[in-house]
Amino acid sequence: MDEKKVQQRRSELEALSDQQLNEKFWELAERIVDPLINLAHTHTSPSIERSVLLRMGFNSLQAKVLVDKIFERGLLGKGAGHIVWRISKETSLPVVKAGLELIEGRHWDEVDRVFKGVH
Amino acid sequence: MALHPDQKLDVSKILEKLEEYRPRRKGWTWRVPLPPGSKVGDYSYREISQPLQNSVPLPPAKYFNHIDPQPQEVITAEIASGRFEDDIRRMRMAAWHGADHIMVIRTLGQSHFDGLIEGSPEGVGGIPITRKEIRATRKALDLVEDEVGRPINFHSYVSGIAGPEVAVLFAEEGVNGAHQDPQYNVLYRGINPIRSFVDAAVAKHLMASVNMLQIDGAHNANASSRVAWKVMPELLVQHAINCVYSTKAGLPKELIALSTVPPMTAPAPEFRLNFVYALTVRELFQGFRFRAQMNTRYIESDLLDATRIHVLDTLLSRLTSADIQSTITPDEGRNVPWHVNSIRGVETAKHTLLALDGMKEFVEPNEKALRGAMRDMKIRAILYMQDILDNGGYFEAVHQGFFVDSGFFPERVGDGIARDKDGELGAGTVVPRESDYMAPVCHHFGENHLPDGLEKPCDLIGGCTLDHPEKIQYLDELDETDNVEVRMQPHREKMASGLFRPEVEWQNDGFIQLDMTIPDNPDVAEAAALEIASRMGLEEPTVISKTVLHPAEGTYVEVKARVPFFIRRDELKIPEKPDVLDEASVRQFVGNRPIKVVAGTLGNDEHSVGMREILDIKHGGIEKFGMKYVYLGTSVPVEKMIDAAIETGADAILSSMIITHNEVHLKGMRQLDQLCREKGIRDKVLLICGGTQINNDMATENGMDAGFGRGTHGIDVASFIVKALQQRQRNS
Repeated sequence: MDEKKVQQRRSELEALSDQQLNEKFWELAERIVDPLINLAHTHTSPSIERSVLLRMGFNSLQAKVLVDKIFERGLLGKGAGHIVWRISKETSLPVVKAGLELIEGRHWDEVDRVFKGVH
Repeated sequence: MALHPDQKLDVSKILEKLEEYRPRRKGWTWRVPLPPGSKVGDYSYREISQPLQNSVPLPPAKYFNHIDPQPQEVITAEIASGRFEDDIRRMRMAAWHGADHIMVIRTLGQSHFDGLIEGSPEGVGGIPITRKEIRATRKALDLVEDEVGRPINFHSYVSGIAGPEVAVLFAEEGVNGAHQDPQYNVLYRGINPIRSFVDAAVAKHLMASVNMLQIDGAHNANASSRVAWKVMPELLVQHAINCVYSTKAGLPKELIALSTVPPMTAPAPEFRLNFVYALTVRELFQGFRFRAQMNTRYIESDLLDATRIHVLDTLLSRLTSADIQSTITPDEGRNVPWHVNSIRGVETAKHTLLALDGMKEFVEPNEKALRGAMRDMKIRAILYMQDILDNGGYFEAVHQGFFVDSGFFPERVGDGIARDKDGELGAGTVVPRESDYMAPVCHHFGENHLPDGLEKPCDLIGGCTLDHPEKIQYLDELDETDNVEVRMQPHREKMASGLFRPEVEWQNDGFIQLDMTIPDNPDVAEAAALEIASRMGLEEPTVISKTVLHPAEGTYVEVKARVPFFIRRDELKIPEKPDVLDEASVRQFVGNRPIKVVAGTLGNDEHSVGMREILDIKHGGIEKFGMKYVYLGTSVPVEKMIDAAIETGADAILSSMIITHNEVHLKGMRQLDQLCREKGIRDKVLLICGGTQINNDMATENGMDAGFGRGTHGIDVASFIVKALQQRQRNS
């Protein structure tokens, strides 16, 4: 920040009361954070999807393989838990069993059909 | 399973049926404050909490009837042996000294492990956080908290590239607190900034679901910056970013703790900087919690130096506020995690907080003198945030190396840590959630397009692990060679044969510490110290600390080395404890046959505290059992002691001797004995001496009837007198 701008902003801030300074501080913090939290709202990651599978009853080794396979297929944005749940519905298998069969390489045609519209 | 104070914690029992263990509570627990004015012993306190059932009080407590008041602040002990089975025993010791926040450090490199680690592998500088290790630790802590009588918060790290998974693991296993701050990943762990923030929101939301306390990572800027105090405006900014991000991710303010460190230390005029900063951060962040960390930035390997710094840091906590008082030891500079120093750190915090109990009733900040500096600090932080926004926001600012710059903002030096928002570990792994993104689980942050009509998201799958722990798959060991069973086997065999070695880091590691003063310069002293340790038969001697006393006259050296042998427990000669009469028998005897003694400190000795303990009714002294005493004061000459005994017809002379230089205490004993003989009263009066360096053998060899050392109580002395008089009655 150039010296002139600092001086100008400083004098503006010095005119504020303590309460106003605190409010200004938090207002700016929100402005910095808002785009970050919006990004989190609308995005996901391999670790997030593994955390979903853990909550669904998979162990960490199974969650890792499943998420790697889903990521490679470009389907992470659908939600790993979504895919496993959907396959369990389609196959009438319990959720964990469906996931284990996906790990074995089965049902991926079904995944593509449902989630990529491939017939 | 319950613990008994006189029995070791059996780690094998902890490991039994671990697959069935469920944490008995989740979430953070604060201490329960007692109303101001509550009394412990004779003293009234303003800032204490509920007492413990079992504990080790501060060393001076023996002069205060062994009271052990507990401050209101949660006190942290950091535990980092790298083996959880050894950590567990350390936690128990720390809890007895007053720690109720056990912070388990993670192994080096876990933050770059893309997933969870399982089993019980050994770690470096901390343990690998695995389900097995934290489950065993939480199970052990349940027992320890029952033993001491206070909930214990178990804490580790939700950081690194697998944050959301670690958060699930912690939520499932009852971990009570965790570090979580995406800025820490970005700045110090080289993890992709976008990945760090996106992951962090999910992790924080999960932490909130089980009331886990979050501690941020801003204090690391202080430890990393070239000039620590200059990052103060930035510290406020970093705290604010994580606080706002956390509340937006779902954590309530009361579960968000700022990790704050007094940035400076002497020889700088630390107080003027630290106090302004401490007040400013607390004023700005009202409603949040404060975890006051000790400054480690300037500590090398000198334990006393660390203690001085930490006492002053804790003074600052008392002058302002702290919800958690953290402690840390200078062990990193001393090669090994010397557990006793962790205990000392806890004692330093407890001592200082108790010593300064209620100080704010008498002392308050001078608002007029401070306000200008506090406003300046806030203005600098605001300018800092305006600069971030001018430059396109957080990721751009990080990219340009804004953070951890050693200029006092708005000054910039250009030595900050720069991170590429599209680079670093995990870059390119974050993807947009599509319009049909869905996660059929509870407590999931962010967009989630669930089917309509669900009561709970996890109804889709018949419940998730957070509500149905039976759904958790417990993995035991994945590595046949690196696990707790392999590590413990040799120790089990040794223990069965009653063999042990001293330990510092791990069971039977054999490490001890020696200290010595070598009358020469530091280089010679170091070489001499190593030579001395080698000639003593010790292995792997290493100098862990040196203090120059004078460049030529002398150097104080501390050495760490390994004892090459084991000790057999049942072959040790342990002196038998004297058989002490019970209080009622003593009282009954004195009721029938009154006993009078004269007492004082002998010769040129002014140390009367111990003597008063033995005499005074309030401290359980002999007066309590009906004995009468004439206290002659301090520095009483031998002649006066004996004349007083004759005048009052005393049955015993009690002399206290603390000073032992040139064996002045032994000379005193012999003079007493000799003069009593000359005056013809030796068979009428018992000669009893006491002091920290006295023992019974030494005393009786030098003409006394008995000698009492450290840890003696009134009943011990009273019992001896009664027994001696009973013996005399039998003989006559």
